[in-house]
Amino acid sequence: MSDIALQTHGLGVRYGTFDALSDVNLSVRCNSVHSIIGPNGAGKTTMFHALTGTVAASSGRIELEGRDVTRASDDDRVRLGIARSFQVTSLFPELSLRENLRLAAQGRTPWQALIPWRRAEASKSVLDMADAVIERLSLGHVATRAAGELSHGQQRRLEVGMAIAARPRVILLDEPTSGMGIDDIEGMKTLIRDLGRDHTVLFIEHNMGIVMNISDTITVMRLGRTLVEGPPAEVRDNPEVKAAYLGNMITGDIA
Amino acid sequence: MHILDTAKVQICLALATVLLLPFVLNSGILATEILIYAMVVAACNLLLGYTGLLSFGQGIFFGLGTYVAGVLTTRWAVPIPLVLLVAVVLGGLVATAVGWFSIRRQGVYFVMLTLAFAQMFYFLAYTFSDITGGDNGLLGVPRPQIMGHVLDGPWGYYSFVAIFFLVIFAVLLVVTRSTFGRTLLAIRENEGRAAAIGFPVRLFKIEAFAISGAITALGGALHALLIGIAPLESINYHTSEMILVMTIIGGSTSLFGSVMGAGFYLLLSDTLSVIWPRWLLLLGLVLVTVALFFQRGLWGLVERGWDAFAERRKGPQKEAGDV
Repeated sequence: MSDIALQTHGLGVRYGTFDALSDVNLSVRCNSVHSIIGPNGAGKTTMFHALTGTVAASSGRIELEGRDVTRASDDDRVRLGIARSFQVTSLFPELSLRENLRLAAQGRTPWQALIPWRRAEASKSVLDMADAVIERLSLGHVATRAAGELSHGQQRRLEVGMAIAARPRVILLDEPTSGMGIDDIEGMKTLIRDLGRDHTVLFIEHNMGIVMNISDTITVMRLGRTLVEGPPAEVRDNPEVKAAYLGNMITGDIA
Repeated sequence: MHILDTAKVQICLALATVLLLPFVLNSGILATEILIYAMVVAACNLLLGYTGLLSFGQGIFFGLGTYVAGVLTTRWAVPIPLVLLVAVVLGGLVATAVGWFSIRRQGVYFVMLTLAFAQMFYFLAYTFSDITGGDNGLLGVPRPQIMGHVLDGPWGYYSFVAIFFLVIFAVLLVVTRSTFGRTLLAIRENEGRAAAIGFPVRLFKIEAFAISGAITALGGALHALLIGIAPLESINYHTSEMILVMTIIGGSTSLFGSVMGAGFYLLLSDTLSVIWPRWLLLLGLVLVTVALFFQRGLWGLVERGWDAFAERRKGPQKEAGDV
């Protein structure tokens, strides 16, 4: 097995006549934390959509651990090991937190759920996975609450938890800290860094403190293309990146 | 989940309904009709309440069931158990086909597709009058026999239908509480996320459609055996509409709500139609009231009533505990 978890070759996505993404060559190493930064409209979320199969690639190829998944449907890709969280929180608001995670864990073996007389309690591994994620997110005290009633910070953590529950090889997080308070952000940073140990993490983030601090590799995107790719120190000092961000200073300490 | 929505309470309520209807109603025909529609409406609830699919196609499956009963009993004298089995299988298959096409689209387009299929099947039934009897329908559908004894009395056939009703109600309870049913709820809540966490959403919807169609066709067949004919109205768009109205009045968050919806509609129409020929107008008002003020239907009222009752009982007890 190569040590590249996820790779794209000349990936492009076209909405009508607009090239949202063109000729993107990305390679994410196994068990690394890889972040994607870039100004709004750079194509970051579009790339996530293409990687997870929400939108079809109009050109190029996507490989998961050397296997071509360009044509695989979105639910097939979950089974192959790609899971994601969303930039705008997308949960099952009327269902309990535990049920949200149980569903996310069951999504890995959806055929079981097609048996109309099979009880949810019959899948012990699924229930255990949900409970393990609840513990990891330290949300045990609100496990029976409806997801829609949780605080924003808790919902953002659950959002990431939904991706973890699928036991993915590659975990894609779309702005996991968006709208979070300072205290919550620190917790999220620790969570993402820990995830990098047993998963491969690819995440989009605007908070440069986090990006510079926990990334192994950073890809900078602009106008649907990759601008620079490299370790944090290299990216921070790159003149092109500085120009792309103009006023938006890239700061943050490198751990 | 509300305490009244647990499987035990729900099946007890269904059983109580079956046992009490003969004491409350004089007409065995009306009581039987309530049970038949109750299972059909509960099957519609599986789509509307649990999956979030507003299907105007339920009349297709109901009509299909009545024609299966009509054709098989009057032409070939097929035994009733086999007739009902054919109705269930065919209902499931046709629902799978209709679902397979309709579920490709969402929201309004899905609704319009089911409506279009409903019209198409109506005209098919109307056109192929050698099979369906066209405008006249099929007459002389016999009642089932049990041990050589024909169930031609109203309450005898009621008991026959009651068994089917209880079995179907239990089946739907199992389905809605299974992993499958809980995934349907997730699809209703957030279809995009359900797909993103790995569920092949279309397959789940088609399966819900098939189960719903099979039960609805069974109801249609039982209804033809009840009234002795397989009329063209059974497959009319109006049947679909009536089933939907019953589902909404009953409330779409609980299966027993559907039983209440069917009972309420049929009892109201039975009472009002004697008093005033324009009774459908009043039904319209009832529906407007439900849509405006009681969005969770009759079942929502029951839950609220129960909560108020439980609160009142808990109140004094708490005070006593404090002292």
